[in-house]
Amino acid sequence: MSPRRAVVGLASALLLLVLLRQDDPERLRSRARLLGRMAPLDGTLRRLNGTAAAFDPQFYVFLESARRGLPPSTPGVAILGAPASSPAAYLATYHLAPVPVLVAPERVPPGWVLAVYGPQRPPGWKVIAPVWKGALMTPAS
Amino acid sequence: MEGDRPGLERRADDARVVTGLWLALAQVAAILVGSAAAGYALAAAFLPPAAPRPERAAWGIALGLSLLAGSALLAFATGLSPVLAIMLAAALTLSAAAFVRRRGTSPVSPLSCRGRPTGVRAVTRPIHIFLALLAAFGVIVFSLRALAQPLWSNDFLAIWGLKGKILFAGAGIPRRLFTDPSLAFSHPEYPLGLPLLYASVCFLLGRWDDHALAVLFPFLQAATLLALFGWLRRRGASVALALAAAALLAQFEPLYSAFHTGLAEIPFSFVALLFGAAFSDVLDGTDRFAVRRLALAAFLAVSTKNEGLLLIAAAAVLALFAPRRASAASRSALAALLVPAVFLTGIGRLWKGSLPLRDFDFSYLTARIHELPPRIGEAIRTAFSEIVLPAWPGLLCLGALIAAGRSNASGNRLLALALISALAYLLLPSLAVAGPEWLVRTSFARTVSALAPLTATGIAIRLAEPRDS
Repeated sequence: MSPRRAVVGLASALLLLVLLRQDDPERLRSRARLLGRMAPLDGTLRRLNGTAAAFDPQFYVFLESARRGLPPSTPGVAILGAPASSPAAYLATYHLAPVPVLVAPERVPPGWVLAVYGPQRPPGWKVIAPVWKGALMTPAS
Repeated sequence: MEGDRPGLERRADDARVVTGLWLALAQVAAILVGSAAAGYALAAAFLPPAAPRPERAAWGIALGLSLLAGSALLAFATGLSPVLAIMLAAALTLSAAAFVRRRGTSPVSPLSCRGRPTGVRAVTRPIHIFLALLAAFGVIVFSLRALAQPLWSNDFLAIWGLKGKILFAGAGIPRRLFTDPSLAFSHPEYPLGLPLLYASVCFLLGRWDDHALAVLFPFLQAATLLALFGWLRRRGASVALALAAAALLAQFEPLYSAFHTGLAEIPFSFVALLFGAAFSDVLDGTDRFAVRRLALAAFLAVSTKNEGLLLIAAAAVLALFAPRRASAASRSALAALLVPAVFLTGIGRLWKGSLPLRDFDFSYLTARIHELPPRIGEAIRTAFSEIVLPAWPGLLCLGALIAAGRSNASGNRLLALALISALAYLLLPSLAVAGPEWLVRTSFARTVSALAPLTATGIAIRLAEPRDS
């Protein structure tokens, strides 16, 4: 075997080892188990048990509950009380799409529904539907 | 994990959207294979007759997925039902393929003797089987990473998946994608190729399913391995070398990760490989179809990520500096690169208006240029300390493989494309609004990992023995 071939063989073998070491076999097994456990569940439960909702699973349940409770042809949803983080804003916008979403806006656009996560109930708004850990609201007048 | 969780109880009208995961995954796989089959038929118009089947399959997959995404666009533009538009596109594709076949440009199977010298048929050796199994292992491992849960990365929820879901739900492209300030985080300036593909698959599926869509990513990984293997074989590499390159690439977790599933990096890495291979073919004058392939790959690169424009710019620079004897080929390459880039950029500008790259402040290139050198230093320092140094064992192996290779035009070109792109990814963060360190940390490893297939192919073709061909 030429020295060049030996270098190629050795470097390739080492590179393979480096690449294979990146994945912990136990983590792979747990992924396989997770996939098996997720399969019988419906999409919302799979999402709830996944990484996207892990920062606050209750907030995801609130979003799904709000999505189900929105009146037909709602022009948009303003969310109050959401966790103050980008992942929360991304998840809310994605989950309620295509309905436009504003998280913690200074002002709620006319005709929009206010979805409040948590116990607070802003004055001047009435509850139109209770949702998980919160409420859907519209202007009282 | 709960079955019927409080707050998420099933409603009577949810029955139609509750579908077993395995069935949903199988449905998406069937859609992807179906589109690839249509693309495979059409790929005859893009490849020389002696092209190996894996390479034709890879181009077939690229064509099939483009047709899917393109038919969604056709449906939005004409008001046709998206499913009808997809069926129409499939029928037109198959008719075009039949026309190409009648004109006698269909490829020859690599297993047949027609169009190939006799005596070069590869003998299957145990090492080939081992390497093929290793590549398959890489695809299975990535599938486990990709399919374990619904697509979840921030950039899927904030950009690619969000846009796909909005396109799917509205069966159109609403202006608010480009104008609504509350969607500014979704990067309105990014191309819509991947969201259109998501929407198109979901039109056929009949529902938005962000878990089943994950199948697309191992599918693209397999397509990348086919492209790499097929091109290396056509350009004279031995079966063992081509399989070894595919097997190593398949294990590359920095690209084929759970986090990247749903994002544009894996589709772009596939397109970048097709692009580099076609670009090399044009400059080397391998066949009369190469210019078509390059134009198609350039079109796909710009449609997938803004980095596609960088790749095209890098290729244009290399084409301009190609040896004089290749000047006709360089002109063809430049035309194939620039026409799709100018066309798509112009259409995008007319349609979306002028959308700034929101992460960058270009005043660092003009009025604030004195602030640029320390920012470049910060970008380089962060990249080296946080990304390059921790990866030194793998980079050392790559360095040894590059050093052990023989200089050849194709390999050098692919490596130069990857290097220029990587340098651009390294230096662009120096213009970042939120600071170079932030952008290097959040994007450098991700964007550079998409150059892995291009780099692997460049390294492998330099290692091919002259007698391999």
